[in-house]
Amino acid sequence: MKRGVLASLTLLLATVMPLTAAYAESTSASGEAAAAETVCLQCHGGQAGRLGAPVSPWRQSIHAKNGISCHDCHGGDPADFAQAMSPERGFLDVPAAAAIADFCGRCHVGVREDYLASAHGRARERGPHCVTCHGSHTVQAATLELINAKDCSRCHEFGRAGQIKEAVAAVDARILAVERDIAAMHRIGFATRELQDELFNLRNAFHRLFHTVDVNKVRKETEDFSRQLDFLDGKIAALHAELQWRQLVGSGVILLLLAAGVLLLLLRKTYADEERGRKEE
Amino acid sequence: MDTGRQGPSERRLFLLSMLAGVGALLGAIAVWPLYRYLAPQGGGGTTEQVAIPLSDVPLGAARFFDYHGRPAVLVQVQAGEYVALSAVCTHLGCIVKWVGEKRHFLCPCHGGQFAPTGAVLAGPPPQPLASYRVIVQSGKLLVG
Amino acid sequence: MDRLKTLMDWFDVRLGVREILRSNLQGYLLPRHVNIWYSLGAVLLALFTLQFLSGILLLVYYLPAADKAFVSVERIMNAVPYGWLIRTLHMVGSNIIVAVLLLHLLSVLFMGAYKKPRELTWLSGFGLFNLSLILCLTGYLLPWSQLSFWATTVATDAAGAVPWIGEGLVTFLRGSPSVGAGTLGRFFALHVVAFPLLFLGLVGFHLFCVRRAGISVPPFGPSARPAGVGTTFQHEVHRDGIPFFPNYTVKELAVVMFVLAGLVAITVFAPALFLPPDALEPADPFTTPDHIKPEWYFLWAYQTLKIFPSKLMGLAAQGGAMTLLALLPFLDRGEERRPFHRPLFLTLYGLGILLLLGLSIWGHRS
Ligand code: HEM
Ligand code: FES
Repeated sequence: MKRGVLASLTLLLATVMPLTAAYAESTSASGEAAAAETVCLQCHGGQAGRLGAPVSPWRQSIHAKNGISCHDCHGGDPADFAQAMSPERGFLDVPAAAAIADFCGRCHVGVREDYLASAHGRARERGPHCVTCHGSHTVQAATLELINAKDCSRCHEFGRAGQIKEAVAAVDARILAVERDIAAMHRIGFATRELQDELFNLRNAFHRLFHTVDVNKVRKETEDFSRQLDFLDGKIAALHAELQWRQLVGSGVILLLLAAGVLLLLLRKTYADEERGRKEE
Repeated sequence: MDTGRQGPSERRLFLLSMLAGVGALLGAIAVWPLYRYLAPQGGGGTTEQVAIPLSDVPLGAARFFDYHGRPAVLVQVQAGEYVALSAVCTHLGCIVKWVGEKRHFLCPCHGGQFAPTGAVLAGPPPQPLASYRVIVQSGKLLVG
Repeated sequence: MDRLKTLMDWFDVRLGVREILRSNLQGYLLPRHVNIWYSLGAVLLALFTLQFLSGILLLVYYLPAADKAFVSVERIMNAVPYGWLIRTLHMVGSNIIVAVLLLHLLSVLFMGAYKKPRELTWLSGFGLFNLSLILCLTGYLLPWSQLSFWATTVATDAAGAVPWIGEGLVTFLRGSPSVGAGTLGRFFALHVVAFPLLFLGLVGFHLFCVRRAGISVPPFGPSARPAGVGTTFQHEVHRDGIPFFPNYTVKELAVVMFVLAGLVAITVFAPALFLPPDALEPADPFTTPDHIKPEWYFLWAYQTLKIFPSKLMGLAAQGGAMTLLALLPFLDRGEERRPFHRPLFLTLYGLGILLLLGLSIWGHRS
């Protein structure tokens, strides 16, 4: 009888254990490793000098983080060693200076448009193109720091560039702040995708604006962006208010529960007194 | 035993009534979210008009649609003359069918019959079908 | 008042309810020195009741389909009035339950209450402990987040270490070669129907055991009694004890209130405490997130599996430890229950807790 109990118990545990044991080894496949190691990376990764140089800066870049690999810009066939760099498979070599805006502009369409129409763009034979400020393979998420005296004064004095920077600084800071607020709300379980999308669009439109390098236009339109940010701020404020309301009512409930607990303990004491009294009799 | 002026049973009565108060408050606070959680949602905007494309309702045909959560039906009785009725039989709530060749509604459950105006023609239904206002506006039928 | 009495009389004449109530409430005497640890069982009952209620409410809006589950949970959290409250209570509640379960288990262990005649109480309790963890595990998949998906992938994968049938077992647990829509279907059925039913039955048996054997005398001070059984069944009576109701229930209720206060506090002030960032992203079967860790109460198991050179050895070690614990009342047959008269037990008890803590912290850090 007893052995039967033991046997069935062991059986129960044997089936239960794999589950509770659970959560075996850590899986450490990181996002990057999951991005396919293309033939481009396999060859160039091992090459010395000019041909191997782009690989490691690219790995740190915003492109790599978003899964944009060699062939996404340079074309070619990332799966075929023999034909990888064949023009028939759409391979594009390093673009000429004047063609760089079109090269990057295949994805960054809006920026390309505003840049081409700008003083920078019109002077593109000798003037600055995308990589002059953003770098090529090292490209990082754009920040206000890209507009700085050192880089701008390579070609002209910083004066007007500085004015543009000043004009956009406030909005830029607000965009960053709103981004942090949204992330904080997302962290505690609010659905923020809509807000994120709105901010994403706003930021893209705003980044286009720099590229006109037209001080008056920038000044005028930053006001518009401010207004749009006010709107996002309003939505975030509503979430904050909701959160505060929850905490306020929650505090009330906590206090009531604690009060009930204390009352019950006092009640217990009335019984304890009686019990003691009874024992002493 | 001289712990206080009052004996245990007096203290107990006082504590119990306090406890009842706290409990009632907690209960009330708990019931409200529960009610709100289960209360039907999206019932707002019941005054809104429902739009149906004109082309959906050819002459002599019926088009069933959702009118604020309840089944309703549109019929073009004569050229350019539209009626919108509740499709819920007033007897026991089955959905009426449109009998095109006879130009009346027939309830499949107990044989109730209604005229296109909603009036009862035959069978057990005690009341006419409720009717809604229809207007034609830029290629659409607006009901309500 | 009179109506109530008439109604009571009606039932009493037919079923003798007054006698049942009297013998189980005022007439049910507990040991005079019963301490605060004895209230944890009641706390668990209260928490599980809340868990059942919030779970049923979640079912009103939750959709158990791979392409809808995450969105439906997001809707509960954001669009349904007070859905956030119900869901956060359910989620935080599960964590608090595990903590209280551990305390209940450890206190029963410390006071030697598992010893004869309470072996069956211990066994059913241990079953409840495992069942609760499995409820946590199956519930974890339902929101269909990155965390759900990959935690379940790793957890079910561990079963692959079982010799011969491992691979088949994994596929069977998942309902498909890898975690997918099929897994959600079966975990859903298990989490909301099968295991709760099993759980109710087991709780019933546990309480029956507790009531039949009678509450143990705390093994402290002069009133301590050795464990033992005679040749015939004997309910452990406490002639000079205190009535279960109302004398002791008020104390139990007080503890329940304090625990509930803690539950509400976490729910409104730290809702993200048990909600790692990966729980906020929808499941993506093609991207494993960077550092997934199990919940705190599985960290020890996670770390054990990492220490041993082979998965099978890790599993066997865990299985061995759990089986040992389950069978403790049959291995440790001494009649002494006073902890401070059981130096060997006390040492092992302390070392065991330290080992568990150490493994968990190590697992958390690694
Ligand atoms: C769902 C989980 C559980 C519930 C609802 C529950 C409920 C209870 C209740 C109400 C009592 C009586 C009061 C008390 O001593 O606390 C009790 C006693 C007991 N429980 Fe549990 N329990 C659970 C889990 C466990 C676990 C995990 C164990 C150990 C593995 C366990 C072992 C015991 C023992 C040995 C007693 C007898 C204590 C004594 O008489 O001194 N229980 N349980
Ligand atoms: S329900 Fe229509 S006739 Fe009875």
